[in-house]
Amino acid sequence: MSIFIDDHTRVIVQGITGKIGSVQTRWMLEYGTNVVGGVTPGKGGKTVEGLPVFDSVAEAVKETGANASVFFVPAPFVPDAFYETVDAGVELIVIVPEHVPVHDVMRMRAYSEGKNMVALGPTTPGILVPGKGKMGIMPASLFSPGRAGIISRSGTLSYEFAGILSEKNVGQSTVVGMGADPVVLTNLSDILRRFEKDDDTKGIIIVGEVGGDQEEQAAEFISTRMKKPVAAYIAGRFSPQGKCMGHAGAIVRGSAGTVEGKCEALQAAGVTVLDSPVEVADWAIRNNLQ
Amino acid sequence: MRLHEYEGADIFESMKIPVPRRDVAESVEDAARIAAEIGYPVILKAQVLVGGRGLAGGIKTAETPEDLEDLAGELFGKEIKGLKVRKILVSEKADIAQELYIGITIDGYSGRPVVVAGTEGGVHIEAVAERSPDKIASFQVDPEFGVYPYHARNLFRKLGLSQRTLIACADVTVQLYKIFSRLEALQVEINPLAVLANGGVLAVDSVLEIDNSALSRIKHPLPDYWQRIENALERKGKEIGVTYVDLDGDIGLISSGAGLGMASMDIIGKTLKPANFLETGGGITAELLYKCMDLVTTKKRIKAVFINIYGGINPIHEGAKGVVQFIKENNLEIPIVAKALGNHQEETWEILRSGGVHVVTDAATEVAVARLVELVAP
Repeated sequence: MSIFIDDHTRVIVQGITGKIGSVQTRWMLEYGTNVVGGVTPGKGGKTVEGLPVFDSVAEAVKETGANASVFFVPAPFVPDAFYETVDAGVELIVIVPEHVPVHDVMRMRAYSEGKNMVALGPTTPGILVPGKGKMGIMPASLFSPGRAGIISRSGTLSYEFAGILSEKNVGQSTVVGMGADPVVLTNLSDILRRFEKDDDTKGIIIVGEVGGDQEEQAAEFISTRMKKPVAAYIAGRFSPQGKCMGHAGAIVRGSAGTVEGKCEALQAAGVTVLDSPVEVADWAIRNNLQ
Repeated sequence: MRLHEYEGADIFESMKIPVPRRDVAESVEDAARIAAEIGYPVILKAQVLVGGRGLAGGIKTAETPEDLEDLAGELFGKEIKGLKVRKILVSEKADIAQELYIGITIDGYSGRPVVVAGTEGGVHIEAVAERSPDKIASFQVDPEFGVYPYHARNLFRKLGLSQRTLIACADVTVQLYKIFSRLEALQVEINPLAVLANGGVLAVDSVLEIDNSALSRIKHPLPDYWQRIENALERKGKEIGVTYVDLDGDIGLISSGAGLGMASMDIIGKTLKPANFLETGGGITAELLYKCMDLVTTKKRIKAVFINIYGGINPIHEGAKGVVQFIKENNLEIPIVAKALGNHQEETWEILRSGGVHVVTDAATEVAVARLVELVAP
């Protein structure tokens, strides 16, 4: 098994007719993902990569049996697409776009609470289950099947960790980008809970960064609720305080969200804190994840 | 984008939050004129966008015109945490009976706004939160529902307020939440909110930070974001569409992704010093990386450039063409080390090598940094 994506996952691509949406659809198909169609309002009836394009999500769900959606729509259209997709009963939503205003994300999250669905992002590279499928933009060549789970706030750093592990023959069960924004739709500890339950995952790597308190909150969950080995790397030791490092999530405000604070909290919860990404290979081998 | 105190105060005033009489001075003469209109004593506050301004000597009280001339002159010549003082807010000195604190920020974990209030305002609010948690109270807001006066009254009753001050604080909180919501703020804060002898309140400071992702759709007139980036290189970064943060080292850095960029800085920082942080985002083209190369090599002291990019959403083979074009056109002689993996990686390596770039094909950034260290070592 794996988390989020399995044999029953049927994916639609929202924004499939766009430049990025169409290219990424081809790569998802090439990786073996069960992509069944796409949605672009006003472009219904077209085909992209041989897949039918629909005007509405509800129609796409009805015609294709889709239960998952990945977004390549521009940030200003994300809330509309999100509410439409939630209302259409789609269970898994992956929001790749960056620069979605955080007040939109807060409303989206409030709307989705209590509903039978889960969403990742915004600003996520998506999910990849090696050898099975992917929703999002992760470059397939860096991943290989195995037993290590990865959760990352940063997109490209998740590729880095998968690449380092694959080079040492440590495969991955599922790689999840949780999103880099100050508010994301699913918290780190909720993703950890899924990995803890997943039989195919034998150890988990958290790739965090400065800012926010996702890692601190996760530490509490790990110390009380997890048995599997966990390692963590936190980027941003040399990031100047108060400076926005690329996205609004990665900013240290006052004393909250520092690398030191996160590392201390995780260490106290029994997590192995990695000083540098390359150390993940030794940790994985020591924990029999090869 | 962070607003200056005086800009925040104008917004507060337009939303009926009581603020002191005040005006902005750009010269000592300005300041003297404003002070004469307001009446002495007045407070002089340097308008610089850094925290801890008061402790750094950026806030003074002038009792007389002579005082004002000395103090305003001193402030205008000053740099506070590296920022030159160009404007001073000259403000009425209120008769403060008690200092309170109100702030609204976003709690990332719950995904909701949180309103925080305290009965000790002033410059040491973080310390108060740790030392006397009973002097701080907070509540989470349902973003669909907003803040009503009763939420705010309950908050301030917990802190022991009553009568006219309780109602005044609740009014301010409701208005402050409207500002938070309409201006799509990441953070809005009044510290201190002064309680006056008559029980009324006055917002004698303002902190307001707006979500950059929302700037284009906010209806309230706002200052030009680019104009307020003081560092010319950081402003150039914004213009070409990347995040550039100026640092004091001599290794130029180009990375795709903020996390990867920060990790690269951390790894480089163990032996060498990064000259900048640069994150391209997901829009790499040949032109963009050409401009990035131009930007990171602007500083004459640059000894090498380190490129760390992934082809996920980014066409890195296109980006590589821009890097090589820049090297050739400018006869760049400093070493360029690149790690470029993902979609189109082989093609990317070939293009980069044609420009004399040292390409490292290992997965770990540490290996590429080790190569960099070899190349720049004396």
